[in-house]
Amino acid sequence: MERVVTAKDLAALADDMLRAGRTVAGPVRRKERYFYEAVSRGADLAFDFNYCVYSPRSFFFPPGETLLTYSIGTNELNVAPEAPRTSPVIMGVHPCDCNAIGLLDAVFGSGVPDDHYLARRKDSVVVAVDCHGPCDPTAFCRDMGGNEAQEGFDVMLTPLNGGKGQAAERYLAAAATERGRELLAYNKVGKEPARADRDAAEKFREAKAANFSRRLPYAVEKLPAILDRSYNSLLWQVTAKRCYSCGSCNLVCPTCYCFTVKDVPDLSCASGKRVREWDGCQLQDFATVAGGHNFRPESSSRLRHRIFRKGKWIKEQQGRMGCVGCGRCDRACTAKISVVEIYTQLAEEA
Amino acid sequence: MASAAPVSAKPKIAVFSLTSCEGCSLAILELEDVLLDILGKFEIVNFREAMTERSWDIDIGFVDGAVSTPSDVEEVKMFREKCRVLVAMGACACTGGINTLKNYQNEEDYRKYVYGDKWKVFPTIPAQPCSAFVKVDYELPGCPMNKFEFAELAKCVLMGKPFRLPSEPVCVECKKKGNLCLYEKGLVCLGPVTRAGCGAICPTYGAKCEGCRGLVDKPNLQAAADNLTNLYGMKIEDVLAEFRLFGAYQKERIP
Ligand code: SF4
Ligand code: SF4
Ligand code: SF4
Ligand code: SF4
Ligand code: SF4
Repeated sequence: MERVVTAKDLAALADDMLRAGRTVAGPVRRKERYFYEAVSRGADLAFDFNYCVYSPRSFFFPPGETLLTYSIGTNELNVAPEAPRTSPVIMGVHPCDCNAIGLLDAVFGSGVPDDHYLARRKDSVVVAVDCHGPCDPTAFCRDMGGNEAQEGFDVMLTPLNGGKGQAAERYLAAAATERGRELLAYNKVGKEPARADRDAAEKFREAKAANFSRRLPYAVEKLPAILDRSYNSLLWQVTAKRCYSCGSCNLVCPTCYCFTVKDVPDLSCASGKRVREWDGCQLQDFATVAGGHNFRPESSSRLRHRIFRKGKWIKEQQGRMGCVGCGRCDRACTAKISVVEIYTQLAEEA
Repeated sequence: MASAAPVSAKPKIAVFSLTSCEGCSLAILELEDVLLDILGKFEIVNFREAMTERSWDIDIGFVDGAVSTPSDVEEVKMFREKCRVLVAMGACACTGGINTLKNYQNEEDYRKYVYGDKWKVFPTIPAQPCSAFVKVDYELPGCPMNKFEFAELAKCVLMGKPFRLPSEPVCVECKKKGNLCLYEKGLVCLGPVTRAGCGAICPTYGAKCEGCRGLVDKPNLQAAADNLTNLYGMKIEDVLAEFRLFGAYQKERIP
């Protein structure tokens, strides 16, 4: 199903969803940057934005959440699982973040399925919007294949005008899933596309390909093999000299899914809750296990671990790249450690 | 570190102050909602901010303030003797806090500034953390300390669980809050090497982290020195001054 919608139509659709009791979130401008936030009116959503500082992952995998509450009675332990209730409609997600959602779906949906993630994801709707060109000099999504959305969205919006600093006002909305079709059928948003609209969408896609240049000096398919040869490279130690092990690169990454689980007793000690919180492999204690042994005590081994996860291991496990090239980790790193630069340097060495 | 095994049926606690604003002691009183619970579980035997009757039979002593005068030295030694578990509370007690700034000034100048023409009657020593003089079992860092961390420590003592400060840096809490990093606004922030636990309160309100909670366990200070000078154009003296505000007496130093 395809419709032609204006930014106004999209805002009205968001308002409809809000009236229907849904949580609606999307890019909101906060002074100098955009952030994904829940909104109370559709007009607050921005569809023409460069990038959001954080990815939308926190709507499905929040920074902290309660998994269960417990209380200890005289002879029994009462455990009440906490069930997430919101399954948001997220409007305005760029291709890189769609692919990242696709990866999280695969990770949280396989093995022991993650009920909390899946509950939030179950009735959620993701409305993607395509990018005109690189959102920021740090982006290398083209190299990673991240700038073509393969999965993780229900509707794709292709801008029909705008670009080069001009805000788009009209979009071709194409449903990719049943949920997407339902959304577009809701109040019959927008109008039937004309032939000229489909042509304009086609033109957008052609122009888009030309707007992105490559930053990686080789095809990404070669990356796993390059990493294979680089396990003992000196680069890990040299780069880690600058690294604080602060975890910022993990916490902004749309594909990072590691967490830690803690029990938090109340002062009474007779009841409490079990919470989970974002974790990150760059942090000092990430690989510390019961008994105190740390498998990766050196920051160089943690740095290497992250780069191997993003460029090789996740691909091997999940059949998808662990990095979509959004450039957020580069921007977040106050030590200016850049994954794409590491990938490039390793190729020169290998 | 001593284990936080429960010391008696109802642990007797005491709160003392050395050279400080006593803001940390007041933070305990601000714990209204949980304070009543705490009061029920402990017996408070000595607390200048909240009582007049005092006793010296103490299981856990909380002390705020830096050791900054000869009489502070005597007092902190006495607290150590009287308390089975001694907890340093707040930046001043844990690292010397901002009191240590005087250590970098002319002694006569600041004594005159603080005590006026009676300055000679008030002897002083360079401000230092409690741990410079006595063994401290637990530290609750921060300026002021985090009252929830105080409650957490109290809980651990009651449950006989070891109390641990968060090992991650302030950046983790800052990111969980969804803040825009101050470096992206052209500021320099000590979050990457400062111990979390304050909820990244300063960056959340737009102010840089000044490191009041002290450094993380294994801070990469070489990286701080290199990055701030090479990437952010700071002079090394300015980097040192940033770290000195709360860090003059920390074990780890800028190389
Ligand atoms: S953000 Fe930079 S300094 Fe911090 S852990 Fe990641 S690579 Fe290291
Ligand atoms: S590793 Fe960096 S560039 Fe790749 S997806 Fe994560 S944040 Fe984006
Ligand atoms: S990283 Fe690429 S796909 Fe993602 S927002 Fe930027 S330009 Fe678009
Ligand atoms: S503002 Fe400070 S604490 Fe927050 S992420 Fe940036 S460096 Fe870390
Ligand atoms: S952000 Fe830094 S200076 Fe502010 S309270 Fe936390 S540790 Fe202290």
